[in-house]
Amino acid sequence: MSRDPLVVGNVIGDVLDPFVKSTTLRVIYNNKELTNGSELKPSAVENEPRVEIRGRDMRNLYTLVMVDPDAPSPSNPTEREHLHWLVTNIPETKNASFGNEIVCYESPRPTAGIHRFVFVLFRQSIRETIYAPGWRQNFNTREFAALYNLGDPVAAMFFNCQRENGCGGRRYQSVSGWT
Amino acid sequence: MRLPEQDNHQTKNSRTDHRSSSSSNMVSSSSSSKSSLSSKPPPVLIPPTTIRRRTVDEVWNDISLTTLHHERLLIPLHHQSYHHHHPASSPSFKGMILQDFLAGPLNRPRTISPHAFEELPLLPPPLSPTLPQTALSLNSGMEFEYLRPRADSHSNSSSNGQNAYFIPSAISGAIDGPPSPTALFSLCSKNRLPENSAVGADRYHRRMIKNRESAARSRARKQAYTNELELEVSRLKQENAKLKKQYEELRSAVAAQQLKSYNTLQRSSTAPF
Repeated sequence: MSRDPLVVGNVIGDVLDPFVKSTTLRVIYNNKELTNGSELKPSAVENEPRVEIRGRDMRNLYTLVMVDPDAPSPSNPTEREHLHWLVTNIPETKNASFGNEIVCYESPRPTAGIHRFVFVLFRQSIRETIYAPGWRQNFNTREFAALYNLGDPVAAMFFNCQRENGCGGRRYQSVSGWT
Repeated sequence: MRLPEQDNHQTKNSRTDHRSSSSSNMVSSSSSSKSSLSSKPPPVLIPPTTIRRRTVDEVWNDISLTTLHHERLLIPLHHQSYHHHHPASSPSFKGMILQDFLAGPLNRPRTISPHAFEELPLLPPPLSPTLPQTALSLNSGMEFEYLRPRADSHSNSSSNGQNAYFIPSAISGAIDGPPSPTALFSLCSKNRLPENSAVGADRYHRRMIKNRESAARSRARKQAYTNELELEVSRLKQENAKLKKQYEELRSAVAAQQLKSYNTLQRSSTAPF
């Protein structure tokens, strides 16, 4: 039984296939480094984080994807995955502001349940032009990676987020889900 | 990488008994079983006997089948089909497994024989003190008071509709022993009486399944965070040990250097005069 938080939290499965981590990714919100699997409030993640890619060779370029696989609610993820951020051509050793922001950062605002927000990092083989999808809903990270030949992810992290005044996702919802 | 559903189910089934053999199964199919876990609820607390675990889908199918086929007949028929369906159910648990018990009165196996019904009017069901250990606990006291007067007006006619059906199941539960709260499930929500029993049961089951999935997600979340923290702790400990070692080495190197320098004459600046 794998103890990898990505597996236990079902990120591997819902969003990604199993991969071998080969790069160190640091996500920093408000000067605080994100711990994988931790819970953050929407107020804490309102602005885009600093995403650092550790390494030595600035020639390596990376693509960062941030998705919410639990949209609109974890029990009814009809909009899986909701794309929150897409940045490409990020040079190693630098942070995401040095890349091309294809889809701008959307602040997480979960209304129903406790959502996971996943950062996925792909290593690009060449500097390429990636086009924004037509809409944020129903994004598919696997298909996206296949489309642009990004291969397997090299790193991934996730955090949990619920409503600002949330109560652990415990509220009655009608069968249709969304409120 | 997705194994067929049945395979995953089997893997999960054997887990409690054959840890060593199934662990290799789990390792090789860990990704697919994890993906299936996201769609199926994890094992509920089960009694320690060896019991075949049913998937949510099977429970659901059973409910739909029983609602479709259901007349207000008695059950020896259903009993047959049920037992045929579940040859592996443990007799010590009166042919029931927890999932079925929780599946509700529609789905309960009727192990009563026809003649037991004659005993019904005579039987006072003092079941509240003997509630079985189940994952859910019910306050049965109130419901039983509710049940009692009904038993008096029990009749086989269809005038009372589903109530007539449920009473026998509740009281037959008394004969069987454990599954009595199943009747309570059906009757305990006071709002459910006017509803069609099938729809009400469906909604109840849907809610229960959703709740289970939510609970599973919650456990997964908690476990994932705990694992991450543990990893981080071990990382930090390693780094700490490494840094301490480096520090010691540096210190001794510096000390050695200083020692060396004390033994040699140091050049000092001489005055110009």
